[in-house]
Amino acid sequence: MPDNIVEVKNLVKHYPPDVKAVDDISFSIGKGQIFSMLGPNGAGKTTTVEILEGLRNPTSGSARVLGADIFKDYSKIRGRVGTLPQNFEPFDLLKPTEAVHYWAAMYDLKITKTEVNRLIESVNLTERKNLMSKKLSGGEKRKLGIALSLVNNPELLFLDEPTTGLDPRARRDLWNLITVIRDKGTTIFLTTHYLDEAEKLANDVAVMHRGKIIAQGRPDELVDRYGSSTIIVLEGAGRAGFEKLGKMNIKASIDEMDDRNVLVPVKKHSEMKSMMATLANSDITMEDIYTRRETLEDVFLNLIGKKMEDGVLKE
Amino acid sequence: MSRLISDVISFGRQYLRSKVGLFFALIFPILLILVFGAIFSGMGNSKIDLHVQDLDLGPRGGNFTRAMNQTNAFNIIEIPVNEDINEYIKNKSLTVAVLVPENFSAEIELRLTSPNTTGLVNVIVYGDKSKTTYSMVTGATEAVTNGMNFDLARARPIVGLVGKSITENSKFNYMDFYLPGIIGMTVMTNALFAMTANCAEYRQRNYFKLLATTNIKKWEWLVSKFIFYALLLSVALVLTFLVGRMAWDMQSILTPMAFALIAVGAFTFTAMGMLLGVFIKDPEGASAIANAVGFPMMFLSGSFFPLEIMPGYLQSIAGVLPLTYLNNGLRDTMVYFNDGGALVNLGVVFVVGLIFFVLASRLMSWKEK
Repeated sequence: MPDNIVEVKNLVKHYPPDVKAVDDISFSIGKGQIFSMLGPNGAGKTTTVEILEGLRNPTSGSARVLGADIFKDYSKIRGRVGTLPQNFEPFDLLKPTEAVHYWAAMYDLKITKTEVNRLIESVNLTERKNLMSKKLSGGEKRKLGIALSLVNNPELLFLDEPTTGLDPRARRDLWNLITVIRDKGTTIFLTTHYLDEAEKLANDVAVMHRGKIIAQGRPDELVDRYGSSTIIVLEGAGRAGFEKLGKMNIKASIDEMDDRNVLVPVKKHSEMKSMMATLANSDITMEDIYTRRETLEDVFLNLIGKKMEDGVLKE
Repeated sequence: MSRLISDVISFGRQYLRSKVGLFFALIFPILLILVFGAIFSGMGNSKIDLHVQDLDLGPRGGNFTRAMNQTNAFNIIEIPVNEDINEYIKNKSLTVAVLVPENFSAEIELRLTSPNTTGLVNVIVYGDKSKTTYSMVTGATEAVTNGMNFDLARARPIVGLVGKSITENSKFNYMDFYLPGIIGMTVMTNALFAMTANCAEYRQRNYFKLLATTNIKKWEWLVSKFIFYALLLSVALVLTFLVGRMAWDMQSILTPMAFALIAVGAFTFTAMGMLLGVFIKDPEGASAIANAVGFPMMFLSGSFFPLEIMPGYLQSIAGVLPLTYLNNGLRDTMVYFNDGGALVNLGVVFVVGLIFFVLASRLMSWKEK
């Protein structure tokens, strides 16, 4: 077994006349990791995943999944890979238990009733297992999709935007489920346009934009590399505080999430102590002062120059 | 094999749980056979209202009206003599009415006593010539006036006609001829309409992509749909046949060849639905294209109307429609007991189905380009 479950080199997918859906990307995924491909809609995430699932042919480049060349030998690894496509909807008129039985048969697996129940239980659908799938909530449908993708006990699981369109609670539920699956040893390729999702779940993140990977690494590495590392938050300082900082030649910004707060980025850890002292001793009126690390959201803003909401880039 | 069986079971489960699918497969043909039976089984027994104005002062006008009544084809309704017949027809929106003119008897007597007097003494039929009731009334009037002429000439008819059924069992009725058409139509609508919609749904919901990541082969998926529809439509055939037999005293029979035709019909129209599904991206488009292909085929292939009454160019179109051969084959075996003829029709349907199947298998892609 190779160390890397997925190895992609110089992968390209062009559509005539001039659409570069995937533009010369390379990456690898280690065993037992959650690898997250992060980017806005149209960045090329799904195209990449579908190439690795054997559902699209690339224009050029190479890709090995579980040691097999996917362009020549995909049939050899088909049974070792699980898939949850984007916007998954189960068959409306099958119950979850029936759907699991059916899916197992599609992989030529004989699955007992106990095994079906265990799989349904692993995605927390036991109480809903005898309902028609059309009666499940959006989050439950995705959980069923994950159960189906696990039916062949895959070594590698592709989850293409598994939480898109779900409410925050359902998203967190799925995050827990994905973590449990990873902890059992399954390698996960996760695409998402939710920055918090990538930051929370991924061991490794590739930020994708216009077909290219523009940054890659562990979430904390990306924050260190592309962020300001640490931010001092002046809670309640408001616009008056922001203007006073300007007069003191201290770079600051108003918090977009809460315009009562003023944010002061500090690049080097060694500068933190003196900056805190300067701010604490200033005559700026504030309710509290504390520090927080920058997030992938800040990194994304720095890299692309735009914020991302629900997969759409905003000015 | 287990993949194929599992796919049949899973697909069948969903189909049978869908009330719409079940209705069109099993209930709709039964409703059709009952409705068609109610319409056609009474044909020949029902009477048409015929409005007659007798202005004749002698006995011959009354004799004519009584003779029309004795045909048992009409309920004779007398138009009062003081009414203007044109106004009466207009006010009552009639399609046909008969006038026995004034001096009808006198004019007849004149021609009997004075052989030199020429010209016919006419009964006048008013009406819309495009309506079948007009043809029926003129036909009956002609027969009655011929009878009157024989009587007046003191002659007796010598040449006549006897109707004889062309089927072996003379008890066959209209419904025996309609049943195969209804069965053929049910096979076509269920397999074609449902498969076109299924293909669009599988594509829209990414089921094809998901299936492409498993071990099931495309041909297995296609064959499993054919097996399911062949089984379902065989049940529909038996149910429709039994209801028709109980309700309308039908004499046609179920033969092994009829089941073979159902199976081959299911194969052909399933494959045709898949082929149409290749070009459709969403369920709305699927419905539109299936209707555009299915409805004309339903009416042009002799399901409801005999092909012989259609203009030549429509008969030419019917000649290239697989449903025509399915209907003909079912009639051959169920009504005429002609399994040789049915086998030829089955062969045509199968070859067409095979072409559709090969094209659908080659053109349908579960993957993206």
